[in-house]
Amino acid sequence: MKQTRRDFIKTNAIVATASVAGITIPGAKEALAAEKQDDGIRWDKAACRYCGTGCSVLMGVKDGKVVASQGDPDAAVNRGLNCIKGYFLPKILYGKDRLTQPLLRKTDGKYDKNGKFEPVSWDEAFKTMAEKWIAARKKGPKGVGMFGSGQWTVWEGYAASKLMKAGFRSNSLEPNARHCMASAVGAFMRGFGIDEPMGCYDDLEHADVFVLWGANMAEMHPILWSRLTDTRLTKPGCEVHVMSTYEHRSYELADNEVTFVPQTDLAIANYIANYIVQNKAYNQEFIDKHVNFKKTPTDIGYGLRPTHPLEKAAKNPGKGKLSGITFEEYAKSLEPYTLEYTSKLSGVPKENLERLAKAYADPKKKVSSFWTMGFNQHTRGVWVNGLVYNIHLLMGKISEPGNSPFSLTGQPSACGTAREVGTFTHRLPADLVVKKEAHCKFAEKVWKLPEGTIPRANDPKMGKTLIHAVAMHRALKDGVMNTFWVMCNNNLQAAANFNDESYPGWRNPDNFIAVSDPYPTISAMGADLVLPTAMWIEKEGAYGNAERRTQFWRQQVAAPGDSKSDLWQLMEFAKYVKVKDVWPEDLIAQKPEYADKTLYDILYTNGQIDKFPAEQVTDDRGNKYDNDEAKHFGFYPQKGLFEEYRMFNTADDKPKKGHEMADFDAYHKARGIRWPVIDGKETLWRFREGYDPHVAKGSGLQFYGKPDGKANIITAPYEPAAEPPDAEYDMWLCTGRVLEHWHSGSMTRRVPELYRAVPDALVYMHPKDAKKRRLRDGSKVKVISRRGEITTRVETRGRNRPPEGLVFVPWFDAGRLINKVTLDQTDPLSKETDYKKCAVKVVKA
Amino acid sequence: MNICGILVHAHPEGFAAVEQRLLAIPGVEVHGISEEGRAVVTLEEDDEDQMADSMLAIQRLEGVLSASMIYHQREDEEPTKEETMS
Repeated sequence: MKQTRRDFIKTNAIVATASVAGITIPGAKEALAAEKQDDGIRWDKAACRYCGTGCSVLMGVKDGKVVASQGDPDAAVNRGLNCIKGYFLPKILYGKDRLTQPLLRKTDGKYDKNGKFEPVSWDEAFKTMAEKWIAARKKGPKGVGMFGSGQWTVWEGYAASKLMKAGFRSNSLEPNARHCMASAVGAFMRGFGIDEPMGCYDDLEHADVFVLWGANMAEMHPILWSRLTDTRLTKPGCEVHVMSTYEHRSYELADNEVTFVPQTDLAIANYIANYIVQNKAYNQEFIDKHVNFKKTPTDIGYGLRPTHPLEKAAKNPGKGKLSGITFEEYAKSLEPYTLEYTSKLSGVPKENLERLAKAYADPKKKVSSFWTMGFNQHTRGVWVNGLVYNIHLLMGKISEPGNSPFSLTGQPSACGTAREVGTFTHRLPADLVVKKEAHCKFAEKVWKLPEGTIPRANDPKMGKTLIHAVAMHRALKDGVMNTFWVMCNNNLQAAANFNDESYPGWRNPDNFIAVSDPYPTISAMGADLVLPTAMWIEKEGAYGNAERRTQFWRQQVAAPGDSKSDLWQLMEFAKYVKVKDVWPEDLIAQKPEYADKTLYDILYTNGQIDKFPAEQVTDDRGNKYDNDEAKHFGFYPQKGLFEEYRMFNTADDKPKKGHEMADFDAYHKARGIRWPVIDGKETLWRFREGYDPHVAKGSGLQFYGKPDGKANIITAPYEPAAEPPDAEYDMWLCTGRVLEHWHSGSMTRRVPELYRAVPDALVYMHPKDAKKRRLRDGSKVKVISRRGEITTRVETRGRNRPPEGLVFVPWFDAGRLINKVTLDQTDPLSKETDYKKCAVKVVKA
Repeated sequence: MNICGILVHAHPEGFAAVEQRLLAIPGVEVHGISEEGRAVVTLEEDDEDQMADSMLAIQRLEGVLSASMIYHQREDEEPTKEETMS
């Protein structure tokens, strides 16, 4: 019997798919086994570049180029599965317009903000940049700013944190994760005193009931959705509740569809808690042993500029200090949220609400709740995250297989880098914060720097030093911040209120904006200096996903032209700034020998980071890999940075337990390891005896992030949105993503197949709303808010089906910047932007 | 040559109709269906644009709950290369 190459490959595809599906195809395996082929492809694992799911993908490299890819069958997360974006992953490296050399705006050979981009050397780029940064830092710690990413590798985030907090002595460091995860973090810290989910993806197979609160998993987390779908189809009695402000792809699996009026998720969560209390369904023993009751200040504003009428009208703008209450007071606070009231407010039929409440209240059903941006991008994001924890805590449905309140993540290392390394203005690695003196001192000790180097939140000499992402754009516009380095994100496209805040800030003549990116994004084109960047598998990397799994990969291919990784850029730039350029005399007096050293010398060659020599990277099968950073710096910087970072979460004298990690080499061997890692073993469910080694024997459960080991149930009411529709701007606008594109589309729009699939952002609208405005499918329209407008086309029959009164527009499209329309409102507690609710009108263009 | 293996989920009760719709997409073959609603599908298309269109059509097909890529290989065809199984 003859088998052609085509037959062979097809058999390969069938066998791989059948094995994942658990289906036997007679004869296929045998046909494959009979033939072994060596095609010269080197295969190795990598963590996917896109979302927070953290799939492992196998990359096949031949002659220095990625030629094949496959979902990793040995990966616990995706078990060989790959989504459509993941399928096209290799192509993100090979877009036609990759940047290959630094570009500086110039006129007559000199830097000019209004000049045209001209190619320059790295040396000229960094010299120009250093001059601007040193001058801006003289104004104070807020004179300079860096905006990084939940797509940075772990060591890139760590190197950036050191450069800003210890080198430039500035807390003006934020990640784009502020726009995406900050509300989740706020609720974890308030409720449990330690960040990130207690459960893990294994809950997807253990749960009886799944509830989606503002997450369209079918499009945004397709691989987790595939696992959830499998459980729903194979487990008797399993049900799926889907909550959203509009119908989307996930509704196809919904047993209970809950489409609610924007912002009323606050009321629905309180109704469920009220149902549990009224029916005495709560777990009394669990509450007595493991829970404290608290309340939070109300009427807290919307995180707008303080001069905005809504901020002036708020009684407690930005306030979040908790105070203790009794169970009875908590129960009383829920009383307004009756079935009648909540159904009327939310627009959800009573039977749907009741079905949802009953699922949570049934002690026999294991419930997993999932949410993403619908909850986090919310002017009451911290509250609403907390309200779902309240439900799980009332029932004791937490920290065990299948019972899991689970905050999903949008970026591949929002957890691993932004949150765990702590690249936020207020944070240090491993949940430490700059407002605590002891934490700053510990960081200074690890970093071998004099006491007082790291700016305190309220610094005795520098005053208030914290500045969050949205405030950074305001500070740029106001000329308070004069240099801004944007790495590994597309913030000019991503930030809300482009017309009134972001763009005027970037183009303010006093400001110098540098953008590091592989592609000429909107942000790169809006900058003064563009730094070409080596991406993803063009460098050695590490990401941390939403289930606390840390995953490493090796450098697979070389970056094109003169592009360099973010790590290289951060470390190399530090060579251009001397300690005496940016430190005051009294601090230098503590370490006079530092005065003439560069920031590179004191931060990255401190005897800890440079102690691992450059080595030939080799996997356990004998395959060899390059490491361009090690080659350049003469030591193994990824290893040195990771091992120093590990002192924050694993050293014996660490201030906070619970984030322990394994050593560097262990991660290169594993398909990721979930922290806390104790004695080489990962932890699946935290806080529960038998699963989490930190929990004392006999205690059953300990929320050890809090001093008394108890979690907080925090009551918070429904409060209205900042900008509901009115007579003129008569529709809600919700923005978000689509399956085919990832975030701002800077990578996926360069994959021809994905671009072809979804080239433009459309406005999704109810057919009746279209008819009322004399519009039909494909009509050209303007979507207009008080701040700006875009022109696009109407879609009434697409994958998203909004109710009357709401439109949905995705934000991936650089040609239709929906953030010209959105409002820069934030959760006053988490400072995360609400991109889901503002008022617009839609008119014929 | 461009071949892809895809795992498709659909409600078991409606799978017969979904299978018919799948087979109407250029390049699609269905190799096996489980009682729980899983199907092994291959997609074979030498034209890259057609391949992408078919792949996206599977994602968007009525009744498809989830479609995951499992395996992909693309090669320039060498017409003389033909292997014999022993």
